[in-house]
Amino acid sequence: MDKYVVLKKSDFNGFIKSLSKTQKVMAPVAKGNNNYAFEEVSSGEEISISHIPTILPPKKYFMPQRETILAFSKKEHEWKPILEKEPLVVFGIHTCDLEGIQLLNKVFTTPPQDTNYINRMNDITTIGLECNDYCDEYASCCVMNNHLPNSGYDLFFTELSNDFMVHILTEKGEKITGGTPLFSEAQSAHHKALEQLRSKKKELFKDEVVVQNNELKELFARTVHSAVWEDIQNRCVACGNCTNVCPTCYCFDIKDDINLDLNTGVRIRSWDSCQNETFAKVAGGENFREERGSRQRHRYMRKFNYSIGKFNKYFCTGCGRCSRTCMAKINLKETINSLAGEKK
Amino acid sequence: MKKTKVAFFDFSCCEGCQLQVANMGEALLDVLDLIEVVNFREVMSERSDDYDVAVVEGSITSPHGVERIKKIRSIAKVLIAYGSCATIGGVNGMKNNFELEDIRKYVYQDSAHHFHTIPTRAVHQVVPVDYFVHGCPVYIPEFVKVLKSALSGLPYRVPDDAVCTECKLNENVCMYEKGITCLGPITRAGCNSWCVNNGNICYGCRGMVTNPAQKGQKDILDRYQIPMEWIENKMNMYNKARENDLAEEKKNNEQKC
Amino acid sequence: MTQALLTESGYATQTGKILHTEQMTKLEKFFEISLPGGKDLNHAPGQFVMVSIPGIGEAPISVSSSPTKKASFDLVVRNAGILTGAMHNLEEGDTVGIRGPFGRGIDTNLLKGKDILMVAGGCGFIPMRSLINYVLDNRDNFNSVHVLLGCKTPADRLFLHETANWEKRKDLDFQCTVDKGDAEWKGRVGLITKLIPDVSITPSSTYAVVIGPPIMYKFVIKELLNKNIPDNQIILSLERHMKCGVGKCGHCQINQKYCCQDGPVFTYDELKELNEAI
Repeated sequence: MDKYVVLKKSDFNGFIKSLSKTQKVMAPVAKGNNNYAFEEVSSGEEISISHIPTILPPKKYFMPQRETILAFSKKEHEWKPILEKEPLVVFGIHTCDLEGIQLLNKVFTTPPQDTNYINRMNDITTIGLECNDYCDEYASCCVMNNHLPNSGYDLFFTELSNDFMVHILTEKGEKITGGTPLFSEAQSAHHKALEQLRSKKKELFKDEVVVQNNELKELFARTVHSAVWEDIQNRCVACGNCTNVCPTCYCFDIKDDINLDLNTGVRIRSWDSCQNETFAKVAGGENFREERGSRQRHRYMRKFNYSIGKFNKYFCTGCGRCSRTCMAKINLKETINSLAGEKK
Repeated sequence: MKKTKVAFFDFSCCEGCQLQVANMGEALLDVLDLIEVVNFREVMSERSDDYDVAVVEGSITSPHGVERIKKIRSIAKVLIAYGSCATIGGVNGMKNNFELEDIRKYVYQDSAHHFHTIPTRAVHQVVPVDYFVHGCPVYIPEFVKVLKSALSGLPYRVPDDAVCTECKLNENVCMYEKGITCLGPITRAGCNSWCVNNGNICYGCRGMVTNPAQKGQKDILDRYQIPMEWIENKMNMYNKARENDLAEEKKNNEQKC
Repeated sequence: MTQALLTESGYATQTGKILHTEQMTKLEKFFEISLPGGKDLNHAPGQFVMVSIPGIGEAPISVSSSPTKKASFDLVVRNAGILTGAMHNLEEGDTVGIRGPFGRGIDTNLLKGKDILMVAGGCGFIPMRSLINYVLDNRDNFNSVHVLLGCKTPADRLFLHETANWEKRKDLDFQCTVDKGDAEWKGRVGLITKLIPDVSITPSSTYAVVIGPPIMYKFVIKELLNKNIPDNQIILSLERHMKCGVGKCGHCQINQKYCCQDGPVFTYDELKELNEAI
């Protein structure tokens, strides 16, 4: 399926209104101080069309912060696997976050598959939204090749002067556009405008760091003992925000939560962070990444080095959230440039 | 199953944390299926000295308080320090900013000689504590967790990461971005960033994280041009009695050397 | 958000029944466990299971019995955390949740026809016992077999009946040393590394299997290399924190390797370049 339709901007509000009547719709909403978050919406007016990456990425719908995976009963010696899911339409996903979702899909569909994730993934409709402008100084989507749509959506919206140009990639997507008379066939003028926008973006989006995309893996391999990690060691406060806001961080913890009857209860999977001091600690007390610097290096290695071996992909989407959120101002672009500046 | 007998006690405090239990609504009924409350001044008049679990609110601020908490400890199999006043000294710790005699006269005026007083101490600074429920007031979901742990004989580990972690997960706009100083970066999590979710700053009522990355934190303050004194003053509102822990730690270290 | 039962899940947990327990030392307790219907666990030496107690949680525990033992399997649990502490309160007839077996165990086919040198320190003896008993049950498949065991004190030794039998066997070189003896101890005192130089093997056709605490690895590996055993014939088993057992949760990651899937058994060849391994 590869088809373009258009939606008049004036019809956008009505489109979201009617869509939200049939399904739960999540979209970026302004929270003040140029912060945005994906929240449930019931009209187009609530949505921030031009938003910088949201505080948390849309991974929160695919991999909830807290998720029940088992129910147990002590007296009955019983364990029952549980699935939590909810059909959702997530609107307004930027290309960096579409890549993030695709990477998570890859992680959880790689055997041994995660049936909880896969069931949820299949129930979510993703609607992308093009970044017409560069968001801010923290992003590095261009060097990560994520500033243009590379698949991973059901529908993809691009804002033109009077319309949204909509690319239909899947049947799930076509069901939405076909379900309302608001969408019409894209005309050649629309295609032309889209082309112009994309070529303008080529001028606007430039590689953000001093190394090329294909040099990143090697850069991190050769700088394991760099002084840059010592500097980061002194600055990092190990709050774990960089991993929580990352669209591709998927580490988790598993804990039991017993009910007040002290008999039945559930097993919960929740987000965890490799930046926590106890993350890699074993029962004997040995900690294999005791230093904050080594934990930060581990985070970077998982984005730029280890992931190539395991999934043949960089796990950084260039969204810039880790740098944007860091109170200690540990900045991904600066880290890469500092590492690259060291003598080979 | 025989119900566990639970007694609530208050020392120097506003009893607001006990009020949280009284206000907990439906969940309270489930709790009452599990425990028998034998002592709870705010909701019942009966008193009993036969209990398994003591839930202690308030800080220890008088010689009489010291004797009373020692007696409670000798009866209770499990002692839960409940609320900031009990777990970290809380606002009562501000007393320790003054000379004891001055503050006694200031508070009790002419009848000061009737009231013996000591510097404010958290409960664990007087007797051993098995469980801590931090907060001013306590966060009820955490209290329920602690209660379940205590009744199952399991330890409860207070989260030792910063409130910022939970705050970010709740997608609050950072107070520092709004130009407001907040104690979230150095305060223990576990409250689900309750205050910030409701538009307030974090006041540090749960006490300081154990390993606060001092250098990194100082850099952050410098970056936002916040003097260390500000943070110390703000932190002292709840955490002045922490000095007792530090003194104790120092003493222990010296003995080791 | 709706909740539904899931027919297939990586977190599905079987009910394991405790057939027998024995307090082996102050800290270590033995459990013999059977799965529903007396099913075999079907594990390889070196693999582990995720053991659950409802309301308390789950932890990885290595299997201590040989795959040749059918219908039940053995675990030995050191009281070191909340879950393992709670396990010490369990007795015959109680149940635990079992997931697994997980991980890459020891490929016993590789060891066929070779000299086998097994070096176990402390808790490392628990998973090593699985391999020792496998090798002894298939003794004809292997050339010379050596087991070196190091314990802190005589009181820390496990499976005394079995080790007493091993000492008597002519087709097995079994040696035990303790860091610190007591009044009754007549055996060796000293580091396990001291035993290695005198072991009689043909290095090029020897597989050395080492399981013990991190500190032991550094010194034992040095001795094995001195003896000219090739890097890819030195086999180690690592211990890490684990939550899922299926290569997702990230807790057990050692550089790019996942201990729960790529290990816990590794060759020295695979580990020597990993700065987070040992």
